[in-house]
Amino acid sequence: MRKNAGFWFYLFLAAFLLVMLFPFIWQVLTSLKPSGELFGEHAFRPIPDHPTVENYVKVFTQRPFATYLWNSTWVAIVTTAYCVFVAAIAAYAIARLKFKGKTIILGITLAVSMFPQIATISPIFMFMEKMGLTNSYTGLIIPYTTFALPLALWNLTNFFRKIPFELEEAAKMDGATTWQALWRVIFPLAVPGTFTTAILVFIAAWNEFFFALTLNTEESMKTVPVGIALFQGRFSIPWAEISAASVIVTIPLVLMVLLFQRRIVAGLTTGAVKE
Amino acid sequence: MKKGTRKGLSEGSLAWLLVIPALLLILVIAIFPVFRSFWLSLHDVRLNDATKRTTHSHYGVDLEGYANSMPFLLSALDQEIKKAEGATQKRLTQVKAKVENVRSTLEKDSRVRKNFQRVDELLFEGKAVPENLRLVNIEEKKARISESQISQIRADLKAMEQEGVLNHPKRVTGLAKGLQECLIEPNFVGLKYYRIYLTDERMWASLTNTLVFTGISVGVELVLGIAIALLINRQFVGRGLVRASVLIPWALPTAVAALMWKFLFDGQNGVMAKIFAEIGLIPNMGTLLTTKFWSMFAVIFADVWKTTPFMALLILAGLQTIPKSLYEAAEVDGASRIQQFFKITLPMLRTTILVALLFRILDAFRVFDLIYVLTGGGPANATETISVYAYKTMFAQMNFGAGSALAVIVFICIAIISMLFVKLLGRDLISDGSGK
Repeated sequence: MRKNAGFWFYLFLAAFLLVMLFPFIWQVLTSLKPSGELFGEHAFRPIPDHPTVENYVKVFTQRPFATYLWNSTWVAIVTTAYCVFVAAIAAYAIARLKFKGKTIILGITLAVSMFPQIATISPIFMFMEKMGLTNSYTGLIIPYTTFALPLALWNLTNFFRKIPFELEEAAKMDGATTWQALWRVIFPLAVPGTFTTAILVFIAAWNEFFFALTLNTEESMKTVPVGIALFQGRFSIPWAEISAASVIVTIPLVLMVLLFQRRIVAGLTTGAVKE
Repeated sequence: MKKGTRKGLSEGSLAWLLVIPALLLILVIAIFPVFRSFWLSLHDVRLNDATKRTTHSHYGVDLEGYANSMPFLLSALDQEIKKAEGATQKRLTQVKAKVENVRSTLEKDSRVRKNFQRVDELLFEGKAVPENLRLVNIEEKKARISESQISQIRADLKAMEQEGVLNHPKRVTGLAKGLQECLIEPNFVGLKYYRIYLTDERMWASLTNTLVFTGISVGVELVLGIAIALLINRQFVGRGLVRASVLIPWALPTAVAALMWKFLFDGQNGVMAKIFAEIGLIPNMGTLLTTKFWSMFAVIFADVWKTTPFMALLILAGLQTIPKSLYEAAEVDGASRIQQFFKITLPMLRTTILVALLFRILDAFRVFDLIYVLTGGGPANATETISVYAYKTMFAQMNFGAGSALAVIVFICIAIISMLFVKLLGRDLISDGSGK
């Protein structure tokens, strides 16, 4: 829009980035402090005098953090795989086939993605208790469908719509069936959008807090966000360990964001922006 | 609709076939529970009360509880009778007769008798009792008679316990209590909870908190988001890096971000609290999370930090779709930058801003994670939003009926907000302009 970026612009940018990343930087610094440097005057010094990794070790040796990580990973992967699969099939139909009622289906999808979790928890909790599914992976994956499936369906539909129509028509003209057109022509073109959607769904499932908090209360079945949030210290909140655990959780997310930022932004803005 | 692919299935039918799995899952897992929540909110359901663990439309007997109390109460009374003397013995015999009476009233019902035997066998074998066997409906009259008799029995035993004439008073009174608890009453209460909440101060306070939180945080996020988007909408070195770092707050689990801020705002060791106190924003560090006004400030601050980047990204994407020619034409006409912003940028961003606002407002309105972790709703419920209130009602008090009513209130508010936006946005929200 405007011409080139000048000195003041970069100064502003630097300030903006500093403000935005400050909490995270502070977290990293805190995680390296030995317990003696967490309180009093030391608490406000950015650089630890005696940096240590003991907090990272403690998180794994004195707390079931590895279990939390595994629980979160497994639940997020299964949720992502199954929701993206089911949604991809439906999104293909909505985006590319002619039939009545697709506006209603999309409307329902969008509406459901706006449902507050609290409005579904009481029957879901009672159902899981009755079925003995609290403190299980299935017991989380099922309710995760409530946000993962609409998210996947909505994004995939938008992505699939962007695949040029003519290709499919051309394939059909050459005598391919709908299925062949799907597998040979559309599927390869749909991979990037599907992948982006999978990233978004995975992050949403990985970060989920409310269902995990209410349904999986046993130590061995907790997910990472709940596990960290409920870290208990003997006398005070174990900030250094919480910081270390938070850093560990954030690293894969940062990596993912660095690697796939273009895709994530495309996924986030799809549907919100008219092209 | 085009007829006939090679598989002999019309395009429309095929499409429905493909859509149905997703649609069914959404209906069963997401939509049905909302209706069920509403149904629960019409009942006195409490998970910490054996007789109210679910909705009951009839009078009934919980046979598992019955099997665990009736036979044992009778034998316990026998033992007491054996050891007692004189007047006490006579009174105990009368109590036992009343218990026998309750038993014959209930077991006169053939279904009660039959199912009771099965349940007893299952319990003896240490197996779980299936729900359809456990609960048996009985006539209201019988239920009321038994109920009053058991109340009488409990009163008699209580009196004897206080007189100290019983050998194992706790045992008999406990069993009598267990017996009373296996009588189930219908727990339909209609709109009682909604009526209660309509005049409940805490409900209105939490609703106000939610509105304040939503209004201020989304407002600030929108203004900051537009400002940031305008500023970074240009070519510069390190664009990708900036974009990636902008995504970090968004990608972080809200619970983890909330913990981070809880530490930064900590009254003793929080560096942000320290900074705020040093620059004179707050009188002292402890103020931030212990006073009403400042704890709301802290929560909003954390939310703004977490979601402004998302807002900026959405608006940036919107900005990039505005044709440059519009600005060039405006420049030729001599329009100032400010005029350009209000006459071109804002109107062109209308849909983007409305969509971003819709998502953010709904997200903010149902806020739970951030507040639960950062303040827990405190101090003195100053930051308690309606979702947090509903959660506490359900999982701290185990009152699922009342909690569901609060949850339904959240749902209705969200539905109203959504409808307002859908009116504003029209079909822009769903249609994609591809002409399909």
